[in-house]
Amino acid sequence: MTLLFPLGLLGLIGVPVLIAIYIIKNKYTEQVISSTYLWTLSEKFLKRRNPINKLTGIISLILQILIVVFLSVAIAHPVFILPNAANEYCFILDASGSMNFQTDGKTRLDVGKEHISSLIRSSTDGCVYTLVSAGNSVDILYEELDDKERALALLDAVSPAFTANDVDGALGVAQAYFNQNPAVKTYLVTDKTYAETGNVEIVNVAASESNFAVTDVTYTLKGGKLTVEGKAVSYAADALLHVNLQFEGEGEPLTQEVSVKKGEPAEFRFECEKDTFVSMKLYLSERDALKLDDEIVIYNVEHENSYTVLLIGDTPFFIEAALASLKNARIEKLTKTEYETRANGVADKTVSGYDLYIFDSVDPLALPKDGAVWLFNPQTTVPDTGFGVESVRDLPASVRMEYADIENSPSLVERLLSGLSMTDIYVKKYVECGEFYRNFTPLIFCGDYPMVFTGSNAFGNREAVFAFDLHDTHTSISADYALLIRNLIGYTFPDVIEKVSYYCGEVMEINIVGNCDNVRIDTPGGNVVFLDTSRSTGEHTLAEVGLYTVTVTKHGDDRPKKYYFYAALPEEERDPSASAQSFVIRGEAGPSTRDGTFDSLVILFILLALLFLADWMVYCYEQYQLR
Amino acid sequence: MNKFAINEEFLQQVEMLQMLIKNNVAGLFGGNHQSKTYGSSCEFADYRDYVSGDDVTKIDWNAYARFEKLYLKLYLDERQMHTRIYIDASRSMGYGKGRKDEQALRIAAALMYLSICEMDKVSVFTIRDKQVHEVISSALGKDAFYNSVGKLNEIEFDGDSCISEAIVPSAVGYGDGMSVIISDFLTDNDFQTAIDHLTGKKRDILCVQILSKEELNPKARGKLHYFDSENTAKFYRKNINREIAQAYKQALEYATGRIRDYCAARGADYVLCSAEEPVNQIFFDKFVNMGVLK
Repeated sequence: MTLLFPLGLLGLIGVPVLIAIYIIKNKYTEQVISSTYLWTLSEKFLKRRNPINKLTGIISLILQILIVVFLSVAIAHPVFILPNAANEYCFILDASGSMNFQTDGKTRLDVGKEHISSLIRSSTDGCVYTLVSAGNSVDILYEELDDKERALALLDAVSPAFTANDVDGALGVAQAYFNQNPAVKTYLVTDKTYAETGNVEIVNVAASESNFAVTDVTYTLKGGKLTVEGKAVSYAADALLHVNLQFEGEGEPLTQEVSVKKGEPAEFRFECEKDTFVSMKLYLSERDALKLDDEIVIYNVEHENSYTVLLIGDTPFFIEAALASLKNARIEKLTKTEYETRANGVADKTVSGYDLYIFDSVDPLALPKDGAVWLFNPQTTVPDTGFGVESVRDLPASVRMEYADIENSPSLVERLLSGLSMTDIYVKKYVECGEFYRNFTPLIFCGDYPMVFTGSNAFGNREAVFAFDLHDTHTSISADYALLIRNLIGYTFPDVIEKVSYYCGEVMEINIVGNCDNVRIDTPGGNVVFLDTSRSTGEHTLAEVGLYTVTVTKHGDDRPKKYYFYAALPEEERDPSASAQSFVIRGEAGPSTRDGTFDSLVILFILLALLFLADWMVYCYEQYQLR
Repeated sequence: MNKFAINEEFLQQVEMLQMLIKNNVAGLFGGNHQSKTYGSSCEFADYRDYVSGDDVTKIDWNAYARFEKLYLKLYLDERQMHTRIYIDASRSMGYGKGRKDEQALRIAAALMYLSICEMDKVSVFTIRDKQVHEVISSALGKDAFYNSVGKLNEIEFDGDSCISEAIVPSAVGYGDGMSVIISDFLTDNDFQTAIDHLTGKKRDILCVQILSKEELNPKARGKLHYFDSENTAKFYRKNINREIAQAYKQALEYATGRIRDYCAARGADYVLCSAEEPVNQIFFDKFVNMGVLK
């Protein structure tokens, strides 16, 4: 036995003090009566009493002494050592997506946690606990922790992942603990059935729940017709499922009845007349134990990546025609006069509110700050563009322009000129641009002067320059013109997200657009993640099922753009009665060498309470003669 | 201070009662109590043959006419009784909540009045320590009663009392009436000798034991230290619980039973009464039922 606070035994000084007080204090009430004859005579009639009964007179003192003794001992906090009675426990808690199966309001993970809690509570004091959570990754939540309450609190904080579990990683951790201490008791709390186990006790928390799922959903949007295809699955038994298709902002969903056999995906197909859509949700009407895989939300990629264009020019016919072929563009046109009127109405003469500004033979009064800029046939030097206009060259006869050498140029040139036939193009009049003080990538030359070049302006926005009027060339009627415009659009508006459907555990990619201040991801669980904008691509591992929101905020733009995508539960986690190969810890188990402890504080306090109660009853018995 | 209060109505009722004397009353003077000897009362007793010298007025002439022989009619004799009342004047009688002294005086006064009404002589004594003190000496007649009854109030209850040692040496009379001892009998001192002595003197004996309500049925519990009022060297210190209370009741039963049995064995009467009990109830219930009065 060890005393945690030995000084508490100083309280035993109270015992002699109590006895002294008892001796000094006369508790007998003195009274003169007419005669003590009968009282004295009564002594003869007293029955022979049990010697223990002689203690009756001092029972109060005995109780008070016991109270002082127990109180002192309780303050000293004795802890008894139980040799070799404690164990080392290693709990491996499967926190994969399938642990979200719910029965009677409790998930499989809750059941598993309850099991571990009961094991911890029933274990001897002095045991140490290691908890390994095997979700998307293997996390050692605590290691050789000997505090039961803390172990239970940390266990309570474990939440299930939505991905497959890393069984190999968990086994590696368990094997490492076993090698370190062969007496360790390993428990694997999981919902999967293992064909082979060794040195581990499997606690299977799976119940025969039912589960239905929607999976493999794809869509095609062509010619005003939308086709949605997917599969419905029932894992536990044959079922008749009802698949619903609900478009965002529309009333009644479309419903289709699908007959499925156990474990065999059954296809479904929806067809409807639609030019576009924002998002659609496919969900099952049937209730099951796992709701996470009962619905899928699909977003329209093209809608996600759409942009607005302000086209300024008096005769922007060729540009308008080229943009018209791009579905994502929403174009607004202004004449030169209208533009100047609007710009002059603003203090800094900066027009704003668009993703792309195209100036056709019009020089901007001030370079827009919140969007990409294309300049066609600039006449004067515009501040912040990164280049200067030297002069306008009017040739007597057309001259041929030359394309940049793809092989000896950066990959950007190859990307921007990809698909072009590079047939000869001529120009009769062009602008000589020079005084470059920012990096630009020339695509087409005329002599020493770049005719088409791209880069970024002083505001970090992408910029493309055509140093000639489209009317002065035959470029605009060539096939390469449309391709070049498409490539430039791709360069100016790289798709932020290229995929809108993922499975949990996958890594999603986001293209970081230029002049980007921050890219924020809001997860379904309410977590917020900011991506590194210094790279061209941001990555995020999807750990939650549901709708993710990506918010891209550009520098100087108060209109952050939002993109949406959906992460579904991995298919392997949907089966309520999944099985796995093996979980074998190699080696031979040994006996426990850890000493247990028994904390008697609770018992002491119960005894103290009983003694206080007994003393109080004796006091009442004596004081109020309750007999 | 008037320690006792006996109203006129009660006294009138007491006048209706009469003391029953078991022993042959051998007083010198005639009275109301029949004697076993022949005398001159109106109560016919027997016949005997006439012998010369007898009072011829007592010859039954009717019997002569029938039997032609002279018979003399004999009548019972009636004598005056001398009632002696002994009051225990120890401190135990006057201490505590129950006023045993007042009850003793009330009973003594009532018995005194009853005897006076029967034209008996009454003497009242107090017993203190080992001596008998005469408070009222041979009172006779109601005038004497009213003149002397006030003396009862002057009795001081103090000290110890030794009943036998006080009564035996005193003049107790011989066959001439009743001796009444009024006490709480809460003492180790001898009282049996006094009873034997009085029995030997052919006195009718009435022992009246007066106990307070608290003594008859004690309610006190807990740690108590009792001191004896007569002798503070005597004390009783106990944590009084149910067992001790039970033993006390047994002791009380034993103490009263011992007196009762002893009196019964000697032909004496014994009455136990409470200090709080009304006197008329003691007289008309207990004394009458016991055959002390009729």
